[in-house]
Amino acid sequence: MTLGLYVHVPFCETKCPYCDFNTYAAIESLMPGYVDAVANEITQWGAWLKHPALTSLFFGGGTPSYLPTRDIAKLMRAIYAAYDLPSDTEVTLEANPGDCSRERLQAIRRTGVNRLSIGVQSFDDNELRLLGRRHSVDQAIAAVRSARVAGFDNLSIDLMFGLPYQFAASWAHSLEEAVALEVEHISAYALTLEGGTPMEADVAGGHLPEIDPDIAAEMYNMTCETLAAAGYEQYEISNWSKPGLQSIHNLTYWRNESWLGVGPGAHGTIAHGPGAFSALPEQGVRFVDIKPPRAYIERAMAWRSGGALTADTLAGAGAIDTIELTTQAIAMGETMMMGLRLNVGVSDASFRQRFGVGIADAFPNAVNDCLKDGLLEWVGERLRLTDDLRPLGNEAFGRFIAEAMG
Amino acid sequence: MIGEMDPRRIRNFCIIAHIDHGKSTLADRMLEITGTVTPREMQEQLLDSLDIERERGITIKAQAVRMPFIYSDGNDYELNLIDTPGHVDFTYEVSRSLAACEGAILIVDATQGIQAQTLANVYLAMEHDLEIIPIVNKIDLPSADVPRVIAEMTAAFGFEADEVLAVSAKDGSGVIDLLNAVVDRVPAPKDNHDLPLRALIFDSKYDTYKGVLAYVRVIDGSVTSNDRIRMMATDTQAEVLEVGAFKPTMMKVPGLDAGEVGYIATGLKSVGECRVGDTITLARNGATDSLPGYGEQKPMVFAGLYPTEGVDFHELREALERLQMNDASLVYQPENSAALGPGFRCGFLGLLHMEIVQERLEREYDMDLVVTAPSVVYRVVMADASVIEVSRPTDLPNPSLLDQIEEPWLDVSVLTPSRFVGPMMELINARRGVFKRTEYLDSSGARAAGTESMPSSDPRVVIEAQLPMAEVLVDFYDQIKTRSKGYASLDYTFTGFYPAALVRLDILVAGQLVDALSLITHKDRAYYQGKALVAALRKLIPRQMFEVPIQAAVGSNIIARETVHAMRKNVLAKCYGGDISRKRKLLEKQAEGKKRMKRIGRVEVPQEAFLAILKMER
Repeated sequence: MTLGLYVHVPFCETKCPYCDFNTYAAIESLMPGYVDAVANEITQWGAWLKHPALTSLFFGGGTPSYLPTRDIAKLMRAIYAAYDLPSDTEVTLEANPGDCSRERLQAIRRTGVNRLSIGVQSFDDNELRLLGRRHSVDQAIAAVRSARVAGFDNLSIDLMFGLPYQFAASWAHSLEEAVALEVEHISAYALTLEGGTPMEADVAGGHLPEIDPDIAAEMYNMTCETLAAAGYEQYEISNWSKPGLQSIHNLTYWRNESWLGVGPGAHGTIAHGPGAFSALPEQGVRFVDIKPPRAYIERAMAWRSGGALTADTLAGAGAIDTIELTTQAIAMGETMMMGLRLNVGVSDASFRQRFGVGIADAFPNAVNDCLKDGLLEWVGERLRLTDDLRPLGNEAFGRFIAEAMG
Repeated sequence: MIGEMDPRRIRNFCIIAHIDHGKSTLADRMLEITGTVTPREMQEQLLDSLDIERERGITIKAQAVRMPFIYSDGNDYELNLIDTPGHVDFTYEVSRSLAACEGAILIVDATQGIQAQTLANVYLAMEHDLEIIPIVNKIDLPSADVPRVIAEMTAAFGFEADEVLAVSAKDGSGVIDLLNAVVDRVPAPKDNHDLPLRALIFDSKYDTYKGVLAYVRVIDGSVTSNDRIRMMATDTQAEVLEVGAFKPTMMKVPGLDAGEVGYIATGLKSVGECRVGDTITLARNGATDSLPGYGEQKPMVFAGLYPTEGVDFHELREALERLQMNDASLVYQPENSAALGPGFRCGFLGLLHMEIVQERLEREYDMDLVVTAPSVVYRVVMADASVIEVSRPTDLPNPSLLDQIEEPWLDVSVLTPSRFVGPMMELINARRGVFKRTEYLDSSGARAAGTESMPSSDPRVVIEAQLPMAEVLVDFYDQIKTRSKGYASLDYTFTGFYPAALVRLDILVAGQLVDALSLITHKDRAYYQGKALVAALRKLIPRQMFEVPIQAAVGSNIIARETVHAMRKNVLAKCYGGDISRKRKLLEKQAEGKKRMKRIGRVEVPQEAFLAILKMER
């Protein structure tokens, strides 16, 4: 049974203008209280679920590498104590290239973190400035080298395309540099202007040029071609890896399985389906911790878990702010929306095992229309987006969600 | 005598004004000053009972109110104010309201002077032999120029300067003098109570409890409860359930006598049986001749109304039936569009009437509708000399079968400060207009009285022209306003049908003819209109998964083409654990939006696209 653990670290030295995550600059004074609170939340969850096994662990943010090493160690100690964590479990930490000296990375490696996700974003200093990043291209390259020396044999880097003022040539250059670093995993994201961010306001106000969707589409195609030629396999809309080195933690999300989320604003899910946590009578439940760090610390710190795990007890547990019960229809729609992001698509057999009905019976219209329009194809018993129309994935997801609404 | 008042003490009058000159405010003040309503009961635009009327500041339905008034000599009088609609779409209703009166208060705004509708209303009042009491309103405003506007009124209509009263409906000054002038100058109704009953219906309205209420002015004779009456034009009979007066709410009275204004509750089910302008008489020993002026109103503008998904065709039919119970000028019949499915072809008196019906369906019946571009009625003379009327472009017969097509024309008058004459002429020209004459309205004396600060101190000009109605239908009024910075005004009347070289312009979306987008246009303009229409559609139709060609065609000739390019990328870049619920909800919202679109083949077309003709650049 899959159970991931996501630890949200809300601290950043500086906040990037495109970011709409629950992260904050200049609240470093809260770090000690935060670490104790998260450690308690980790412990209470472990006890409540009776020392479960974790299939992956992920420190995300924010900037987890901005946390002092001793704090990372403290959290790892709490995790080891409360969960079964086999030695080969994927443990990822997101790192800012600016925090990646060899010594620092060696220390982080010793805490048990065995995979780094480095926020490189671009190999063009002008683009890095536009994105408000505090690191340089040289620092990014040095970070990858230091990580190797520090003993990390599983590295991922993040890249962004479709930026204001970005041309195809500069994206080609970034891809080339990325390939040259020979990392195991690359995430390449089209910039999405999120509402309420400074960058969105700049574009809306005409201070930054609008992003041409056709140019972004062109860059996406370039990405697929370049990375495939360099031996990377695309396994999700925005993710590529060397064979067998996909992100185990992120696959949990795309397979719509269970994970716990701890930290301010972290989301968690106990997925629908038999055998999960049978004490929960519902079809599955999603829950979110309270967002403001101070309130989070207070509530997480005070939590003492115990008793039966039910929707009611969950709603009032620890730092949980909201819960959402999932119906079978919603769970099926979300399973398609997430699963079709993967290149292997969704297995009809697993779907049937989980929901008691096949995909084509649950979504006759969506499946038919998408097959007819060339959006989807059956490969054996798996339904997946076609390579040609993968960039139009939302069209397919939307039809499944619409049909799930009834 | 069954009436409550000696006819010599009754005055029936209306208020005529250009839109926004303060008609409703003046009515409100009169109600307050005569004590007809207490200040506590007062709400703005009391006579405008529809929400839309209050919001838009216009009057759609006629109303009436009976006000008690003590004249300066100490005697009691009964003043009946009949409020008239203030828009050219409702000219017929206005004329019936005027026919119910002996006098009219003519309002002119002290900051704006005479406007196009002022002229039209004055002529209409004169046609009905009404005693006109001219007033200048809004004298409380700093930009008011009373002497100049009085000079304009004397120059234009030959009033004596001292006939014109200065009033502020807003603060009430001059209103008592005005009420005294109504008693003084408006003739009392003729005392014809010995003649057989003839009552003029100036409006009618459906009431759930009492059936159709006829708003009437009794011209001859009298009517009481339990009388059996007959509507002379529709030859419908009914029992009088109740007669009453508006004080201003409906109050039962024993009877209505010649000269009086009130209502008759008929128990009828539809206002169509009790039409504005018809004469009510008694079923037995009734009058032989009906009152003059009755005319069945013909809708001039037609548009298709289609339910979107989620709105049931039958619900739409029911809503239209309910609206028609109160609106005899609304006509509809089911039609089937290849593109939009089953819907209704609806006929309206004009564009405003159309907008009002659409808005009421959306608001009062909570309906989401697709409305096709409005069309006028064409008369088609067939090769065999038979004549058919066509209000839907796709009904236009094959050119080989017809002799000629005639389109409706309007007599249009535009009143504009002289500095905008150029732009007005250009507009009229561009719309196939034919000039009749231009005339300077202001006398030189009026101009001398004007002040420098008043922008309209520049002399004003009436431009009279004839235009095809189809050209006036679409954004002509907006253009008049835009090109004159808001100063020019417009009035028009229907003149007749004239032949023209007209063709049908078709639109094809992804190779499929969209009947709801077809339009009839002048041969010489088809090319430009086709180009403008496909350009507008290209912006209104969102990118789809495939390329969508949009073409304009006359017959089998493609005259313009645009392409909506295929969407190349539409996928969320990042979707991790924390995004799942939010992204699902976003897709749910988009799915709701798509439901409201219409599918033309595989193409999803938003509702606005069907009104593209209103959005195209000319």
